[in-house]
Amino acid sequence: MSSRRSSRGNISEDEINELISKLQALLPSSRRRGSGQASTTKLLKETCSYIKSLHREVDDLSDRLSDLMSTMDHNSPGAEIIRSILRS
Amino acid sequence: MARCQGTVESLCQGLLDLDDDKFGAMCSAFGYLQEWPDLGAMCGASLGAPAAAAPGAGDGNDTSSCSGSAGAGGFRKRRPDAYLDAKGDGNDMSKRPRGKQQQLGGLGEIAAPGKGKQERPKAGTKKKAEAASTAAAAGQKTDYIHVRARRGQATDSHSLAERVRRERISERMRYLQELVPGCSKVTGKAGMLDEIINYVQSLQKQVEFLSMKIAASNPVVSFDIVEDLFGRQLKQACNPAALPAMALPAGQLEPACLQMNPMQQVHPSAAAGSTGFGLDMVVNNLYPPPAAARCPVSAATPVTAAAGPSIEPCLNVNGAAAAAAWDIGSQNLFGGFDAQFQSVESDCLLDNLKMEM
Repeated sequence: MSSRRSSRGNISEDEINELISKLQALLPSSRRRGSGQASTTKLLKETCSYIKSLHREVDDLSDRLSDLMSTMDHNSPGAEIIRSILRS
Repeated sequence: MARCQGTVESLCQGLLDLDDDKFGAMCSAFGYLQEWPDLGAMCGASLGAPAAAAPGAGDGNDTSSCSGSAGAGGFRKRRPDAYLDAKGDGNDMSKRPRGKQQQLGGLGEIAAPGKGKQERPKAGTKKKAEAASTAAAAGQKTDYIHVRARRGQATDSHSLAERVRRERISERMRYLQELVPGCSKVTGKAGMLDEIINYVQSLQKQVEFLSMKIAASNPVVSFDIVEDLFGRQLKQACNPAALPAMALPAGQLEPACLQMNPMQQVHPSAAAGSTGFGLDMVVNNLYPPPAAARCPVSAATPVTAAAGPSIEPCLNVNGAAAAAAWDIGSQNLFGGFDAQFQSVESDCLLDNLKMEM
């Protein structure tokens, strides 16, 4: 069954496993836990929550940054420079 | 069995107390429930709780005396579900009209005593069935998963478990597909995983970059951020390619260099604010001596000692040379800090990061 599947699709199980472990290395919780192979389901679940937390963090940080920018003096060279950095 | 009977009776008793509109609402809910076998028939051997619970409900309706146990059996065992598949389809035709009848009766005349009594026990069993379906929904979260085998599919427990696992994985993948933009265009698991990895990496970079920018633009307040940054940013900051990119034109950097005294720990409020990003970065990174005060003294002293000499060259050079020297100096600085912090503070930094997450 598995051989039939791998011959049909051109992706091998090994490739998938490699990607899975790569993904696992990206997640903070699994990095801490060590290299123990968690189940794929759990891993994907963690990925979901991690992506969500990253989204939240990005939003939060952008809010803070925009607050900062609004409180900053707009004519100061520092603000100018930061703006130019933000654009890049 | 007696207990089961008792619960059914108590449910009926409870039903008698219900007033009119509640009863109507419940009947309509039962009508809704009755739709499920139909759905199950429609998509044949669909997997999932509601469709699997429906045959159990039908079963309970047929043999109303032992409905509770039948319903429970229906959703507890796996194989009977597969076995019930055809039966549910067969029952379906005869059951649907009855459900409608009941709904009408429930909405219409509850006053008619004989009919009402005849009906209410059935409604009680149906409530039981409803409870069974909600229990099944809860069971899906815990151990019991409803699987139905298509015709010709294996029904031994290993195959079923494997099927459940695959189902779960693909469900998660679908969810991730919604979460990750541009992922729906990619076909195949490998491509999707690749996309997800890239997306997570880009998000991580974005978070790092944003917190870096905040730390840079707000040097006084964002102490904790700087500390946090130390854990994950130093690797990047040490990268020689990264620093020149962030560095300012040398002319702007020069007065700042002269102003900077590494031992003095100036709060670079106005000065640093006007000198800009590159400098702020370095100033921020100079801060950690106070943070290092939490470390043992033996660790803290080498840090400042290392910071001193590496800063020195910057104070004397101007122009284009300043930028280069700055790079070198800061690299030394980062290196020193890096070593210190990796060894001493990595644990609590990690904890900080976890808190941030």
